[in-house]
Parts: sequence; C-alpha cells; structure tokens
Amino acid sequence: MPNQYRSVFDIIGPIMIGPSSSHTAGAVAIGHVANRLFHTSISKIIVRYYESFAQTHQGHGTDYAIISGVLGFDPADKRVPMAVDLARRQGIDVVFIEEPGKSPVNHPNTAELTLINREKELTIWGCSIGGGTIEIRQVDFNGIKIKTDGPLPLIFVESEQAIGTALDRIFGENYRDKRISVKVPDRFLYKIELIDKPYPEQIEQVRGMSQDVIVL
Amino acid sequence: MYTAIHELVAAAQKRQVPISELIIEQEIEMSHTSREVIWATMGKNLDVMLAAEEKGVTGEGVQSATGITGGEAVLLKRYREKGQSLSGDVMLTAMQNAMATNEVNASMGIICATPTAGSAGTLPGVLSVLTARLALDRNAQIRFLFCAAAFGMVVANTAMIAGATGGCQAEVGSAAAMGAAAAVEIAGGTPQQSSEAFAIAMANLLGLVCDPVAGLVEIPCVKRNVIGAVDALTSADMALAGLVSKIPADEVISAMKRIGEEMPATLRETGLGGLAATPTGIALKMQIFGKDKSLK
Repeated sequence: MPNQYRSVFDIIGPIMIGPSSSHTAGAVAIGHVANRLFHTSISKIIVRYYESFAQTHQGHGTDYAIISGVLGFDPADKRVPMAVDLARRQGIDVVFIEEPGKSPVNHPNTAELTLINREKELTIWGCSIGGGTIEIRQVDFNGIKIKTDGPLPLIFVESEQAIGTALDRIFGENYRDKRISVKVPDRFLYKIELIDKPYPEQIEQVRGMSQDVIVL
Repeated sequence: MYTAIHELVAAAQKRQVPISELIIEQEIEMSHTSREVIWATMGKNLDVMLAAEEKGVTGEGVQSATGITGGEAVLLKRYREKGQSLSGDVMLTAMQNAMATNEVNASMGIICATPTAGSAGTLPGVLSVLTARLALDRNAQIRFLFCAAAFGMVVANTAMIAGATGGCQAEVGSAAAMGAAAAVEIAGGTPQQSSEAFAIAMANLLGLVCDPVAGLVEIPCVKRNVIGAVDALTSADMALAGLVSKIPADEVISAMKRIGEEMPATLRETGLGGLAATPTGIALKMQIFGKDKSLK
C-alpha cells in the first residue's frame, strides 16, 4: 500500500468550514473530483452513502459538502452550507440515498456519486480516509468501469490516437501502477496512477498530445 | 519519504537539523514547490487557526446550529482572567484556545484541520501556550506546525487519523502526540525527546473511542480537544524533564492501529455507541433530528 498522505498540508490543513474533515472537507474533495471528470452541465446528482457516511451525513453537513464540491467550491467557500439549495435553484435534481449495506469499495466513509446529463453519466466511488484526504477507488464513465488503487494523484487522458508509449516516456519512473488504457469506439482512455505529484512540465507535454487531460 | 518516527529522529541527529527542517525538505522535493511558497501556505494555515481562536472567545463566543455546544470557551476565558483557577494560567490558556477552536468548528466556522476538523483545537491550544511562554515569533509558530506535520504524516500513513477507522485516539490522540513532539522541538529539546513526548502523549490516550452524540462533531469532541492540548503539554514537559517512554513511539503507533482495528463500529464515529447511546445522548439526538431532519 503506498503512503496516502504525501504532503504536510494533508496533515496541517485543509482550511475548511467545519464540522468534520472526513464528512465535510473530504466530501467536498470527492464532489470536486466528479466535477473535474464530468466538466459539463449536470441535470441530476445521485449520492449514495455507505456505513459511517450513511449514519452521520445529516449532522456533518456531508450533503451540502459533496454538492459544493460538484459545483466547484473550495472547502472554505462561504457558499458551502447553501450548496444543495444553490444546485436545486440551478435546476439540478439532487438525490441522497442512505445505503444499508457494507461499502462496495470497503471503507466506512464511502460515497458513490453519480452525475448525469443528456449525453453522459459518471459515477465515482470516493472514500474519505481522514483529515480531508480522499481516495477514488472506482470510476465508471458511461458504463466503462475503471478500478483505481485509491490514492491520488491520478490522471485521466482521452485521446483519438494511441499515445501510451509517449505517456510511458513522460511518467514511466513515477508510475505507482502500470498505466491502463481502454479502447472506446472512437478514442482511447488512459488511466495513470502516480507515486508523486507530476511536474507542471509533464502535464504540459501531455496537453501537447491531447487537450482532454484531468489531473486529480 | 519518512515512514517511521525513528527514521526522523535518526536523520535529524545525523544531520544536526530539527525534524521540522527534514519535513520542509521532503515537502519541497515531493510537491515540486519552493520553500517560500510552502512556508507561506503554512503561514495561511496559522492565520486561520489564530482567527478561529479569536472568534471563539470574542463577545459571547459562538453557538452551533444545534445549540448543544458553544459559548464555553468564553466561560473558560473569564475564569482564567480571574486568576484563581486550579491549574493556572498556562493550562487555562491551552484549554480556552482548544475549546474556542472546536466550538468554531462545530458552528460551521472556518478552521484548519490539524490533522482533522474534529481534533482541530488540540494543536492551537498547545501553540498558544508556547507562544505566550516562550515569546515565539511568527516563524517559530510556523516551524511548530511543520514539526507537528512530520509526526502526523507518519501516523496517517502507518495507522490512521480518522475516527471512523480508528476512534478518537486516532484524532485527538494523534493531535496530542503531534503537539507534544512539536512543543519539545520548539522548547529546545532534542529530536529523541520529541519522540519520547510523542509516545507518552499518544499512549495516554490509547483506546479513546469516537462516540459523538447524534453523530455530530460536538459532544464530546469539543471538550476532548481540551484534554488533547493538556496531554500534549504535560507529555512535552515529561520528555523535557528527561522521562522516557519505555514503549518506543513507532510501537505506540502500531498499538493505536491495532486497537483501532479491534474497536467495534459502534465506537467508530457512527454515533451508535458510548456517550451517543446514553439516555441523554439519545434524547439530544431526538431533539435535534426529530423536529428538523435537514438541520438547516
């Protein structure tokens, strides 16, 4: 298991609106990942909570926290406590479901977050592991399931061309796990799990090949 | 990356630098960010901590949305100012500021998680005492936070810092141990003494369960941060006096991890056991969620 906490600011930080780093700041971070992966307008948000999240989401403000992440707010944004209302006022259908069973990705603070619009659907399984730090343990893009190791950084690249060997050249020494690629009808989708945060120059190199790059 | 306390201590001894310096170097290397930016970011965290303390003791203090916590940091402050407390001004300062921070957290104010929001008051409580007793300047206060982070990262990566996975010992226990270790460094103790203070402070809170009433980060979380800050200061003093922990720091972390894993789910932040399951705990839950489910 790699070390999940890789920065002093995972321990001293984040700066956030209370009351819970796992249930509030961590939930904002999970919402934020979904926002960055979806990056288009949303018509419906479904949040399924498991275990400790299911038991205590109401009291911890997890609902507004996760929605504020989806809306792109940071954890100290003053709009965080109003996020559910703000989303609904934008015409987004927001649904919260408390699941009675065990977390499908095996963590007591698990949220399964689905974003939907007319063209696409995205589901992520996020775990809030403490202190506002999260893991993404699975991503489902329009029915394509991608298992991930959990800890960030995680990079997704979509490209019309096969660019796997170029990605290996850029990140090879920093791979936590072998990169995987999925061939979808007209393009390739790459998932890259890194040990350390990528250098800005490396991301620039990837953007030279594809504009569709998401660094989590 | 440092993955054990004994590695931090050995590297600090070998290179004759404080542990805070080792972790700053690691951060520069791993985040590909300059020392100046990293220092300034930690400075912003410090500013948020100081602002939260201030907010919690200004006027009548703050109240949580549920009304079950708030306003008590102000009572501590007034009591301290009368100068007749049993544990003295130093301890009352720690208690007051730890409490103020967590009351602000419970009221959905802005805080800095150290390492978590539920345990956000412990380090500020400790730091406020050091600042007053040792006349720390801003840079020394920032260095305190880096040293605390070095120890916290080892705990987070080798055990856990979430109440849901390890109970309150993983949150307030970790925060107290981090604060004890950093207090020793800032007070001029050796890296080994920091490790002793860490081990003593964590050992003193082993087994502490996470049993929040109504599942809220209020009761007993707010007052447990007071105990965390006091535990950190007394453990730091024990280490500075030359006392040692017979169980080494890394083994105390392993014990904390095992205890956390053996803890039943009812005592890991589900709000189903311990104080949450007492008649009064249940009545408070009914009072809060019975009439207004959304809490808004």
